[in-house]
Amino acid sequence: MSGRASSRVRQGKILVEMAMRNLVASRVRTLVVGGIVALGVVVVVLGSSLLDSIDAGMTRSIQGSLGGHIQLYNAKSRDPLALYGGTMGESVLEPIEDFAKLKSAALAVPGVKQVVPMGIDQAMVSMGNVFDVALERLRADVRRRQEQGAPAEDPDYEAHKAHLRRMATLLQQELRQAREIADETSGVYKDRKADFDALEQAVQGGFWDRFDEDPLGSLEFLENRVAPLSLDGGFTFIRYVGTDPEAFQKAFPGAQVVEGTAIPPGQRGVLLGKLYAEEWLKLRAARRLDKIKEARELHGRKISKDEELQRWVKENTGQTRDILLQLDPVRTREAVRRLQEALRSRETDPARLVAVLLDTDDANFDERYRIFYDRLAPLLQLYSVKVGDTITIKAPSRSGYVNSVNVPVHGFVEFRGLERSALAGMMSVMDVHSWRDLYGYLTPERAAEIRKLKERAGATSIAREDAEAALFGGGGGGDAAAPTAAPQAIDESKLLGTMGARQMRDELFQRRYGQAETDQGVALNAAVILEDPRRIAETMPRLVEAARQAGIEVKAMTWLEASGIVGQSMRLLRMVLYLAVLIIFAVALVIINNAMVMATLQRVKEIGTMRAIGAQRRFVLVLVVVEVVTTGLVFGGLGAGLGILLVHVVGWTGGIAATNDTMYFLFSGPALIPRLGTASLLSSVAIVFAVSILSALYPAVLAMRVTPIEAMQSDE
Amino acid sequence: MPEPIVEARDVAKVYQLGKTEVHALRHVDLVVERGEFLSIAGPSGSGKTTLLNLIGGVDVPTSGTVWVDGEDTSKLTERALTRLRLDHIGFIFQTFNLVAVLTVFQNVEFPLLLQGRMTSEERRRRVNELLESVGLADHSRHRPSELSGGQRQRVAVARALVARPPLVLADEPTANLDSKTGGTIIDLMREMNLRDGTTFIFSTHDPKVMAHASAIVRLEDGRVVGREALQGAEA
Repeated sequence: MSGRASSRVRQGKILVEMAMRNLVASRVRTLVVGGIVALGVVVVVLGSSLLDSIDAGMTRSIQGSLGGHIQLYNAKSRDPLALYGGTMGESVLEPIEDFAKLKSAALAVPGVKQVVPMGIDQAMVSMGNVFDVALERLRADVRRRQEQGAPAEDPDYEAHKAHLRRMATLLQQELRQAREIADETSGVYKDRKADFDALEQAVQGGFWDRFDEDPLGSLEFLENRVAPLSLDGGFTFIRYVGTDPEAFQKAFPGAQVVEGTAIPPGQRGVLLGKLYAEEWLKLRAARRLDKIKEARELHGRKISKDEELQRWVKENTGQTRDILLQLDPVRTREAVRRLQEALRSRETDPARLVAVLLDTDDANFDERYRIFYDRLAPLLQLYSVKVGDTITIKAPSRSGYVNSVNVPVHGFVEFRGLERSALAGMMSVMDVHSWRDLYGYLTPERAAEIRKLKERAGATSIAREDAEAALFGGGGGGDAAAPTAAPQAIDESKLLGTMGARQMRDELFQRRYGQAETDQGVALNAAVILEDPRRIAETMPRLVEAARQAGIEVKAMTWLEASGIVGQSMRLLRMVLYLAVLIIFAVALVIINNAMVMATLQRVKEIGTMRAIGAQRRFVLVLVVVEVVTTGLVFGGLGAGLGILLVHVVGWTGGIAATNDTMYFLFSGPALIPRLGTASLLSSVAIVFAVSILSALYPAVLAMRVTPIEAMQSDE
Repeated sequence: MPEPIVEARDVAKVYQLGKTEVHALRHVDLVVERGEFLSIAGPSGSGKTTLLNLIGGVDVPTSGTVWVDGEDTSKLTERALTRLRLDHIGFIFQTFNLVAVLTVFQNVEFPLLLQGRMTSEERRRRVNELLESVGLADHSRHRPSELSGGQRQRVAVARALVARPPLVLADEPTANLDSKTGGTIIDLMREMNLRDGTTFIFSTHDPKVMAHASAIVRLEDGRVVGREALQGAEA
């Protein structure tokens, strides 16, 4: 027995030796075959290392910003939960009526660290316009003068008046252009005639001469008739997650406050998404400058050759009004002085100076960009909302009304790794109470209560709701707001009688809600954070079961499923890599197969001789397989070595830089540093092994079929 | 009287060449006794190679029976036939057929490795002994491509004999060699035949080569047309 075994070993030795010598003897073939194998392995090792680190980065980003590990939502929901929005807009979810109940049920499941309430929606947001800001300043002056008496010299008051008059003038100039185009007989023109007349009045000296006679009346005229004509500001969309800010911060370390402060525990407030602020709230000229800068620096685009950049420059020079409107006379003088100096110009018209500044080309862009940010920007408010402002958010509520909520902006939030993602980086974070006000969900008890109230009050119920709209909505305008589900709603409404709306609002913002109030109420989904992220699959059914025990039917989803399109891009990338690997190795398979078939045909005589001398078929079979597998393993090993080296080289040189937002998003940061995974190495070995064996099969069978008679044939 | 090393009875071999049948051998009867140094002679196409293939177990007859060392070749499986070739038959080819990538030593050692019965020390001694006797002891590390035709054929002789088979088959062993070298190869084979009693069957159409044989079997058109014994032909 041992003799047989050792004879196998000896045969094995001569097999390997013959295989090696055959490989060396036909170097070119070996190098071609080996080169392809090595290339394939390099792609596998490098590609999967890159993907692994993209995967790890995205996992960290998504789990750490909004996804958590598991998401729970009402099982009766029509749509699946999509944290970053679905392809058809927000997913429609049935509410989780009592989050507190779900929270305590879920926390009882072993391994669950934290449960965070969430409600994601989008809504209109009113940022106010520059007119409002200027009017607010003037109103403060008027109030001061009424309370403390009017001083003989009041430069602030005069400057603010002049600012408003200037703004009206600019607005008139802008609208006049539109008016010249308009057909004076058209209906639209007639409708707007009154507006133009009002504007004309606001520009005339007479109006301003008489301003002091009736300051409040004049202010009202400006506020009601003139300010609305300004198209600036207005409404934009905002996407937000209503949550328990304290719990949210603990659960999602990726959500970082980059300006301002976190929402104080238990208080109302919103943290605006940084990317959202950049895209929607930043002064448009500044935003365009940023975009031109990025296009030039990251993508090497040239203003002279790029139509889009030229358009941005043109828009910047044509739309200086946004900037000019912000400047009151004092600041205008300062701006003119600074720009004259920086641009070495004698121009005195601020509009022309700003236009000159923004008329950039490839040669002067960097300098102009610096002048804008260093000299002009300090005189401007770059974002239409700043920390400390209050924004008004309007959303259609569940009860059908449009709810309106004022929320103080505490700061700006950035999601680490998703800073540049148009889908994920737009998200703002809002306290759950404000969110509930907007969502307007009625608990069954509350609904019953309101029904009773209505029956008792009859027709006056509408009036009551208007009053509440004033409470919660502030500037709600004509929209009726539904009563909210906040348990303290009644208490808060009692305050209405004794305080003004503004005071009332401040009270509301100062209010601290206890943890119980935060938890007891509606949520749309709940992010579950586990102690051990590897236990997602096994914990999901337990959570569903625990919720069922508590009387809540929920569905559970992994963070990846919940991330929707964002998470899918990962799967897509992986498929692309697999496809590439598949193609490379399919080609390798064909080439190796062909090469070995040719090698076999060339060696028919030698194989026949070995068979004649007494080599069994298996010997020949193994000979071919050993040759191919040896090639595969040797060159696969070389490829793996090269791949490992490349992974390190890429790492040492700072990784692959993200040159656009998509890459930035995929890389979860400005650069991708690939990390070597044992999985990628093992899979490359496995693939090479499988491909070698597969490609050796046919030539091996051919070799096996060679009969000893072939040895007898002479060379002729 | 021991049983003959080879016995063929009423052997026929038909090849299909396209639509025509080629009768390579018809009604061949042949007995080869142990220790013979037999030449199979005949013009090309007379069936010499076919007969050697049948005796060598690399091919099986269409009809009739061939016994080699007591085994009916048509009753053996492919595996057993291969085993028969390995243990009982040595081969010498017209074109030498050495394994190009192996050294002289390794080529000679090859059958021993396939047999797997000897230790490496035993193999080394046996191979060196044979290389000594074919006069190539100094060339054991050479590759076949570094040798002349005559040297290569001597390596082939050593390889055919290394496992000490009772029978060696040689198909036109001198056809690719000049007559002088061919003569030395035949002398070498004869020497081994006389020394060890190994039976040699070789085909040739060269009368000078035939002259060395102990007996000549003449083939023509696939038939045995005569068998003549030459002097000094006793085993």
